[in-house]
Amino acid sequence: MSTIQDFSGYPPTWCPGCGNHGIGIAIKSALTQMNLSPSDISVVFGIGCSGNMNDFLNAYAIHSLHGRSIPTAIGIKLANHKNPVIVIAGDGDCYGEGGNHFLHACRGNHDITVIVHDNRVYGLTTGQAAPTAQKGYRSKSTPSGIIEVPLNPLALALTQGASFIAQTFAGNVTHLTEIIKLAVQHKGFSLVNVLQPCVTFNKINTYKYYQERSYLLPKEYQSGNLEQAMTKTMELNEEKFPLGIVYQDDRPAFTDQLTQIKDGSLVSKNRFTGFDLILKEFI
Amino acid sequence: MTTGLVFSKIASRLGYHIYDFVQYPSLIRGGHNTYDVIFSDEIQSGLKWEIDCLVCLNKETFDQHKNRLAKDAIVIFDPVDIDETILTEVKNKVAVPMEKILTDLKGQAVMKNTIAMGASLAALGADLEELFKIIEEQFRKKGQEVIDFNKQLAKKGYDQVKNNYASIIKTVLQKKTTDEKIVITGNDAFSIGSVIADCRIYVAYPMTPSSSVLATLAAWQEKTGMIVRHAEDEISVINTAIGSSFAGVRSSVGTSGGGFALMVEAVSLAGITETPIVIFLSQRPGPATGMPTWTEQGDLLFTINSGHGEFPKIVLAPGDVEEMIELTGEAFNLADIYQTPVIIMSDMLLSESHQSLLKRRFDDIIKSYQINRGKLVNKISNDKAQISNQIQSSNIKTINFLRYQVTEDGISPRLIPGTPGYYYQANSYEHLEDGHTTEDSKERIKQVDKRNKKNTSYLTGHFQTPKIYGDIKAAEIVFVAWGSSKGVVLEAQKILGSQGKKTALIHFTYVYPLDKEKIKKIFIGNKRYVLVENNSDAQFGKLLQQQTGIEINEKILKYDGRPFWPEEIVNYLNK
Repeated sequence: MSTIQDFSGYPPTWCPGCGNHGIGIAIKSALTQMNLSPSDISVVFGIGCSGNMNDFLNAYAIHSLHGRSIPTAIGIKLANHKNPVIVIAGDGDCYGEGGNHFLHACRGNHDITVIVHDNRVYGLTTGQAAPTAQKGYRSKSTPSGIIEVPLNPLALALTQGASFIAQTFAGNVTHLTEIIKLAVQHKGFSLVNVLQPCVTFNKINTYKYYQERSYLLPKEYQSGNLEQAMTKTMELNEEKFPLGIVYQDDRPAFTDQLTQIKDGSLVSKNRFTGFDLILKEFI
Repeated sequence: MTTGLVFSKIASRLGYHIYDFVQYPSLIRGGHNTYDVIFSDEIQSGLKWEIDCLVCLNKETFDQHKNRLAKDAIVIFDPVDIDETILTEVKNKVAVPMEKILTDLKGQAVMKNTIAMGASLAALGADLEELFKIIEEQFRKKGQEVIDFNKQLAKKGYDQVKNNYASIIKTVLQKKTTDEKIVITGNDAFSIGSVIADCRIYVAYPMTPSSSVLATLAAWQEKTGMIVRHAEDEISVINTAIGSSFAGVRSSVGTSGGGFALMVEAVSLAGITETPIVIFLSQRPGPATGMPTWTEQGDLLFTINSGHGEFPKIVLAPGDVEEMIELTGEAFNLADIYQTPVIIMSDMLLSESHQSLLKRRFDDIIKSYQINRGKLVNKISNDKAQISNQIQSSNIKTINFLRYQVTEDGISPRLIPGTPGYYYQANSYEHLEDGHTTEDSKERIKQVDKRNKKNTSYLTGHFQTPKIYGDIKAAEIVFVAWGSSKGVVLEAQKILGSQGKKTALIHFTYVYPLDKEKIKKIFIGNKRYVLVENNSDAQFGKLLQQQTGIEINEKILKYDGRPFWPEEIVNYLNK
């Protein structure tokens, strides 16, 4: 049995009160409860405050480039689809710099779990507006207020074919832990958008802000209903935040559709040596 | 299969060596397309200026290429396209009413090629046996009717020449008994080489002239078991491959200059995380979109300098299809041994030109190839040195593997992720030996020195000096070239040799980094050194000077998007 301590690396350096602390604890709790060890999983970290979890979480991991954690994770999954692959990224990281990768990973239904620390600012570069920032948000890069409307991660994932879309809140570690477990267990692309207060730079989207505007999806909510899910994702426009699995289906994952690896992982296969088979066409 | 390749394969199957070159604009339909095939008893390494048999499918072909006709060249044409009066200077005119044959038999326009092929084989003294076999192979799925119809068209063209132009026929293309050959392009050779090397993931985004590698490897994946991913952009391409390589499988990507430009941030990531990766870079003329379907060696300095920050990388540039297979295999070994990016440079000329290679030679390459995965381990001994210096309390069941352990040769043991009992991170930030992020001055220096040491280890361990063609000591003229320019110089050397000129070629395939002392020994004094490069800036010349101090003042450079003609090099020296 693994314990939280097995996953605990360096003590976190996040600001006191930062939502990342809750996310970090929830991830370790979820992995422990799933009886995984640091050797059983691969984690890809983006660059940003969220990505700094690289030193606080023990696992086979790549601390990748800003925005590129998703393709890196897809590569790991293709090579060894038997082990869970988790991406830890920020909103600027995943929806801004890496937006293209995000939507194509949804399309491909790559079997990775993407945990986005959505604090609506660029924390590590001192608070510039992120793609998820509310319209009019004033920051160092948008002193007169951001002109763009916020990106809607849940709606984007839903329309691009992600098969598990959930939202949770850094202030509710129990819920967060449960959602992460379900996301890792899900076969296919799973998005966990975590509403995360940045206590240092974002004075608007605070714990109080989310406590007042978020609510747990009721038990009777049907997560397989696409139209209903679409309506839920659009509640962002009214500053309402449903928590739970907004959408889930059982579309086959990318690696489930590759005949090359139906009998075992790519990394464990024997070398191909039928060279004359491929040479015929050149004679 | 394009008609030009059909001709190349027929000549190869009859026992000749071939070399071909295709010219086409960046269009899907139309534009002026040409296909040169040279067949010879000897190995053919490059183009040839004089045309012995010109097949005109339209008038533009004659207009554009009449200046290249040999004195006794055969010109095959359709009287509908070309009025015979404009061919006054052509000695051997062969009129084949291709349009009329098509109309009479109700064939499609594209089948004109088949008639022309029949006529060409007749004009060169071959029979239709091999063409018929290829037609059968090509149209097997379409049924006997299509096969018979194509054969009929070929026979019409063939008979037209046999019956009306018997005196013009040159019997130069006849069946010989020789060893079996394969006919491959540089892209085919890279594809084959990557399969031999046990590359298990190839990721790419289509970009001319590298795209056919993606198509070839994708078509083979059910046989070979390789996973071929066409990702959303080149950034995703290389980061995917870095992920799969980290996870323990040999991984590769392919692109051209523009796509490579998008990849370079991740080249740097592979550098600091010490992740093996093989990058196939087929150049075309830039900047930006440039001339997509033409050729240039214009990305050398960009490639060797690719990626921000300082880290070792290895750049190889094969000169022909045989070297492409061999160096592709070697590239995967070097990437694993030195845990760093290895870039194989090709260009449109090498990537898309076919060359024949003896099947026996191919079998030898496979037999002699040994996979060397360097310091990759998937099981750990109880070696205490492997164990992190972190305090191990009895509660801790997994150990932080020292992924970036400082070693004599700069290369650290690499553990396949998933190995029970361990974990580690490959870190994009500067890191400690155990992978954790650091900004400490001493640790930074340790890791930079460690990575740089791999350069020295490579130069002593695996760097190969350039190959010499000809006798440098006896030569009056010594050519210096890299990559695909090898072929043209070899052909120029044949011509110059026949004129009594003594020449040699120093050809570099291991283009970066270069070993100063080993190379200086090759460049002996009092010689006329001539640099031959398919670019405007003499980039290899600059690199050679930077790395070894050797400066070559005389340069033959070409940068109009076309490859060199051997005759251009000969004319330069004879002027």
